[in-house]
Amino acid sequence: MAGIFDRFANVKTQRAAIVSNGGPDPFNVRMDQVLSQTEAIIGNRRTILCGTNNSLGLTFAPEALKAAHDALDDFGTGTTGSRMLNGTYSGHKELEYALCDFFQKDHAIVFSTGFLANAGVLSTLMGPGDYIIMDADCHASIYDGVRQSQAEIIRFKHNDAADLDKRLARLADKPGNKLIVIEGIYSMLGDKAPLAEIVAIKKKYANTYLLSDEAHSMGVLGRYGRGLPEEVGCEEDVDFIVGTFSKSVGTVGGFVVSSYPDFEMLRYVCRAYIFTASLPPSVVASAKVNLGLVKNGGALRTRLMRNAKMLHKGLVDAGLKVASDISPVVAVVAPDPQTCVAFWQGLIEAGVYVNLAFPPATPHGYSLLRCSLCAAHTEEQIKQVIGIFTEVAGKLGLLEETKRVAVG
Amino acid sequence: MAASGDYSPETFAALLELLTPFNKTGVDLKPETRFSEDLNFDSLVVMEFVATVEDRFDISVPMNMLPDITTIAQLAVAVEKIVKG
Repeated sequence: MAGIFDRFANVKTQRAAIVSNGGPDPFNVRMDQVLSQTEAIIGNRRTILCGTNNSLGLTFAPEALKAAHDALDDFGTGTTGSRMLNGTYSGHKELEYALCDFFQKDHAIVFSTGFLANAGVLSTLMGPGDYIIMDADCHASIYDGVRQSQAEIIRFKHNDAADLDKRLARLADKPGNKLIVIEGIYSMLGDKAPLAEIVAIKKKYANTYLLSDEAHSMGVLGRYGRGLPEEVGCEEDVDFIVGTFSKSVGTVGGFVVSSYPDFEMLRYVCRAYIFTASLPPSVVASAKVNLGLVKNGGALRTRLMRNAKMLHKGLVDAGLKVASDISPVVAVVAPDPQTCVAFWQGLIEAGVYVNLAFPPATPHGYSLLRCSLCAAHTEEQIKQVIGIFTEVAGKLGLLEETKRVAVG
Repeated sequence: MAASGDYSPETFAALLELLTPFNKTGVDLKPETRFSEDLNFDSLVVMEFVATVEDRFDISVPMNMLPDITTIAQLAVAVEKIVKG
């Protein structure tokens, strides 16, 4: 009998293969207690968290906890409505003003998640006869957003400014608006966009705009944490910045900022804004406080990068194949998905949590153990992580293989 | 619908040449050969192959067109349409 789930048979088979060795299930990780920004109890074991997006470690900032508690008491547990109708409280507006101040832009719109911010803006900003030219490695929320748009969608090769230039040149005599879509830092390998080159190319063409998703770079790059545009010094040339509160800001929610005078019109056309419940007051209150901590978080950024360098160097020195440059994401490549799962299981059983990532979510067909660092990781914790990685890789015979390849 | 109509033998021949390295199972390549069912292309292979077609013809194939292109013949028609602008 044909059932409605028959077309997922392939997924079911793949899913079963991943846990067929009887070890811990990578897609069923449960944190029973969160002890701190860097430790949790998983499966009755004290575990170092090396696979969260808590880059600055702000999830337990006392000031933000206090603001959230106060907002809960004053405004309740939820708004029960959308931003457009009954879901905009004073906190939502204050957060938008705080975002304008943070990014030094004239307008900010807060969405309920980063995914919805991308989906909402990218589905509406460009219309029929317009073009969206996006980096091929962009996030799923960008893909979903542009698919709902009426514009023509063209992808350029990941981080290949010359390819972008070529594609814009082909469109030069077409009348529509063109929107380039990139990310400041790409999530899987932690690599940065060649922003200075992209801005120079953008300026060559008429009616061409730039949107950058700073989800992973906000709080991490730039003196005041404004992401790659601040680091590169071209904030004026990035027309729209999308971001999230669920990474360095340590809460949840998404936003878009811009200085275009009519930017506010997006509130009336983005379905992801109009038809979604707004963020709870406690979330909004803690996000606003943490924005201030992100802005003044120079010391946290220094610690984060120190930790990133230490883990990167430790894993490379141990003989592991690391696909990322020095960044808060350290991506270790496993030779195949089965070995990757066994590697992941070895790590979790020894008390280290990292992310397991497979194609098509990864570039180059990589099977990855994706580590992400936190400013709150101690040197001792990173040493432990390196030690456990080395031990597990050794048992799987991966270190020898790497050395053999390096010598050969 | 992107793809119904004629295409030149040159376009078809060029596509066959580009397809050969992607034809892992050695399927006999005909105009009606389907990328997904006959050649087992997944989304990543599609992307890689489309990039080689774009380079060869110096065009951009919009993502919106891809769902309507299921066979080599349909791709040939689409490529010629884009080349003509």
